[in-house]
Amino acid sequence: MPPAEPLAAVPSPTDAALITAWQGGDEQAAAELVRRHARALARFLAGAGAPEPDLDDVVQETFIRAFRAVGTFRGQCRFRTWLLTIGGNVLKDAHRRAKRTRVVPLADDLRSTDGDPHERAVAAEAERRLGDGLGRLTRMQREVFLLRAQQGLEYDEIAAALGTTPGAARVHYHHAVRRLKECLT
Amino acid sequence: MKDDATFHDAKLQELAQRLGTRAAERLDVERTAQAVVTRLHAEARAPARPSVWSQPAWLKIAAALVIVVGAGAVARGVRQAPSGAAGSVETVDLSDMSAPQLRALLESVGQPGTQEPVSSQDVGLEDLSPAQLRTLLASLDIQT
Repeated sequence: MPPAEPLAAVPSPTDAALITAWQGGDEQAAAELVRRHARALARFLAGAGAPEPDLDDVVQETFIRAFRAVGTFRGQCRFRTWLLTIGGNVLKDAHRRAKRTRVVPLADDLRSTDGDPHERAVAAEAERRLGDGLGRLTRMQREVFLLRAQQGLEYDEIAAALGTTPGAARVHYHHAVRRLKECLT
Repeated sequence: MKDDATFHDAKLQELAQRLGTRAAERLDVERTAQAVVTRLHAEARAPARPSVWSQPAWLKIAAALVIVVGAGAVARGVRQAPSGAAGSVETVDLSDMSAPQLRALLESVGQPGTQEPVSSQDVGLEDLSPAQLRTLLASLDIQT
């Protein structure tokens, strides 16, 4: 009996390969895309003002819309970036329907038991102010800020996703930062 | 001042990166993935329901309306064009005319029309209808 060959590490399929598989009817490919990007999407949506009780619904709706429209995705940016911009649209529609204001997870922050209680309270207050400040920005400023500061994307990628120029994205970012600093001081 | 700005930039960056982290951590990703797949599966099995505006009947009605309205607009434009041109001709008020002008006008009105009279040579027997021929023959019989 020949000695067993060591198992080669199987590279995980790329987003593009999963998209193609989903278009070919592979539902598990869709599930894998959700597993891969759901947390980043949830973080973006929560930062953009999605109330936590609705977060799961908004994430699901974003993926559903994305899979429906995946034929229009031309790879102008990464799949995740494209997904985040769809999430922004879903959130806007949800806000329009519900006319709800942002729910700040202040209580959760205070419930946290690790760290100094005073530091926790200060951090929670800063986070609340940032949330309020984000709520006062224009949608473009808010999304550019989150894509840049929270998701760490380059201006080229942000511009491609939001249908603007890198220069304009940079200007939106700087306006957002200036206004948010005012909220934090 | 610059240090203060840098401090605020760093603080803002840190806050932004932390924003929504706890909420995202609480998301049950596996449950979300299964829910999305279930919904996609249900959509794929459901018969496609075209939206109201994509139905052929609505499209036909809309196209017919566009054609009718467009044709109406063109016809109205064509009809209005000559009358508009006529409307631009200045009307002549007889009270503004001098006596010699009035006389000249009356003379021109009193003269026979400028149309040339139709010569009998221009009309042949082949141009007459059977009824007209019968009438002509009857009149000839009477004369003879």
